[in-house]
Amino acid sequence: MTNPVIENVRRSLGRTAQISSPQGTPLSLRPAIHEPRLPESLDSEIERFLGEVKKLSGVGQKLSPSEIDFALKTLVEEQNIHKATVWETPHLRQLGITEILNSLGVELVSPNANKHEMALCDLGITEADYLLPETGTLAMHSSAEKPRAVSLLPRVHLAIVRPEMLRADMHQIFAEAKDGNYLVFITGPSRTADIELTVTLGVHGPKNLYVWMMEG
Amino acid sequence: MSETPTYIGFEEYSEHVPASIPSAVQQATSRFVSGRAARVAELPQWEELRQIGSDIRQHTIENMDVYLTRLEEKVKSAGGHVHWAETAEDANRIVLQIAKEHNVKMAVKSKSMATEEIGLNHFLEAAGIEAIETDLGEYIIQLAGTGPSHIIVPAVHLKKEEIAALFSEKLEINAPTDPIELARIAREILREKFLNAEMGISGGNFLVAETGTLVMVTNEGNGRMCTTMPNLHVAVVGIDKVIPDWESLTVFLKLLARSATGQKLSTYTQFITGPRRTEGEFGPKEFHLVLLDNGRSKILKDPVGRDVLKCIRCGACANVCPVYKNVGGFAYGSFISGPIGAILSPQMLGTQTARELPYASTLCGACADVCPVKIPIPTILLHLRRRVAQGDEFAPPTASVPIRLTASLASFSLAQNWLYRFGTRLLPLLMSIFKRGDWIPSAPYPLSRWTKARPLPSFTAGFRQWWKMRSAKRKEASQ
Repeated sequence: MTNPVIENVRRSLGRTAQISSPQGTPLSLRPAIHEPRLPESLDSEIERFLGEVKKLSGVGQKLSPSEIDFALKTLVEEQNIHKATVWETPHLRQLGITEILNSLGVELVSPNANKHEMALCDLGITEADYLLPETGTLAMHSSAEKPRAVSLLPRVHLAIVRPEMLRADMHQIFAEAKDGNYLVFITGPSRTADIELTVTLGVHGPKNLYVWMMEG
Repeated sequence: MSETPTYIGFEEYSEHVPASIPSAVQQATSRFVSGRAARVAELPQWEELRQIGSDIRQHTIENMDVYLTRLEEKVKSAGGHVHWAETAEDANRIVLQIAKEHNVKMAVKSKSMATEEIGLNHFLEAAGIEAIETDLGEYIIQLAGTGPSHIIVPAVHLKKEEIAALFSEKLEINAPTDPIELARIAREILREKFLNAEMGISGGNFLVAETGTLVMVTNEGNGRMCTTMPNLHVAVVGIDKVIPDWESLTVFLKLLARSATGQKLSTYTQFITGPRRTEGEFGPKEFHLVLLDNGRSKILKDPVGRDVLKCIRCGACANVCPVYKNVGGFAYGSFISGPIGAILSPQMLGTQTARELPYASTLCGACADVCPVKIPIPTILLHLRRRVAQGDEFAPPTASVPIRLTASLASFSLAQNWLYRFGTRLLPLLMSIFKRGDWIPSAPYPLSRWTKARPLPSFTAGFRQWWKMRSAKRKEASQ
């Protein structure tokens, strides 16, 4: 089956016959950068990642599971959290996130609730699927257990992540993730400089981004 | 901004640039220039990346039919719909048709050059469908009813006081002049729209043929809202946005944000392959990709001009352009401004409609130095000047008969020693008739065409003779 646009393209390129594989100038070396970034030691990768999150006006810190209670309590108080929604993943369940929030008096909304209800949440808690140290990026897929709206609608986003999610470069992430249906890179909180170049956080997405790197 | 212009009067506009434009635009450009420089300095392989980026774009342009075919197949197998639009009108009609089928009353839009190019908002509004820009800058200029003055910060020409007045008038509120407060007001109003719109409209930064993936790069999160909240997502994307694979994508993502805003990556980069796969999950149930030609395939025909299709819309060329910095975006009279606009608009709208744009440049070459995909903008500007002067067919330049006659006469006589010597004796004699002092103020046709503007210096001697005289003078002086 053919269409007028592709026909026009073919005519302009001077094709005499339909071809199905590329010709002419060859595609560059694969990988396209023949020296992709190599990982440093795990500690320095973690430091670099958290450092970049901070540069982006996010809050990045290392945490052990025993410190979760206190950290969540502080966050809920600081950000005045009343309603929250949390990804339903084994790791977050194991950390007892929803129980802690309950005990702090925070109302929980199902991550699969309708969008109007989700939009009322103050806090969204996710994990990530991959992390990029060089840019302080969280990369995440989307599914019924890990809805994309949790990292988008609430005004505060907390990502609880682990060192094994770190990848040295985008190449590795893409190799693993390209067959998925949806992937998003989150690099810092929502921002704009559209009015007189004044940097403003939280214009449509979350205003505050917290990243906790779990250790041990 | 949306109707296709019939003539772009760059010169007339640039003589009457509003005083607020250059200072506002230069504030933005200087910030982006220093941001870009800082990011580039961090990356030792920057030049290598640019070369690879340029090579991949070259390869893609030469094989656009192959990759577009592959893209269509992959989008369809991921459950998406693909529509082909030969013209702007086709694209508008396709989007309207989809909207009508889904009974859409309100659509939310993320920033998109392609929909500005086709004037989609006006078209939908004429059909009774509200189309709301949700990028803060775009929202402001939609309220103001003007076009963008800069590709990244479209409302940079407006002061916060003007924006506050605009909000107060159009939204019937009492808006303060604080930028952060203004952004908060826009967030609240647009949040409502995101949650209630039946359709999300977006553009796209890249289309990955390998998997049929739409890549969108944004900072505010409105792009995510438009592609997450409504059940219907329609993306309108130019056919030039196709790239071969994810490996290529790594290169362009590293080049794009660094060149555009001086960020390492923009805040949100989305990779969307078809509609959502499971029920009950967020994300649109239906995904439509409208692939827009609108003159791009015609540009492919010109082997010099088509390099413009390599563009990844970062705006770095405009940020360094001495002309752009003094006139701003409006002067370019189309959806795209700056040096890239000066080489794209004439090719899309016609070299007669945009005939002034190839001249809207000093040819200083700063644009080519920063272009992340190495588009030779000055070369294309010169090429387009020729097309403006000689028409759009690219026949090799031919000289007129008198010029060719003169040239062959000259090449013959310069090759004959005796004839050349004879000429050098003859010329001063001929010239003495017209000489006034050391100069010839007016000469007979065709030399009069020169002397009308400036006098000719008189010819004193042939080179050999002059050399002898010169040596003699020097000897005299040294003694």
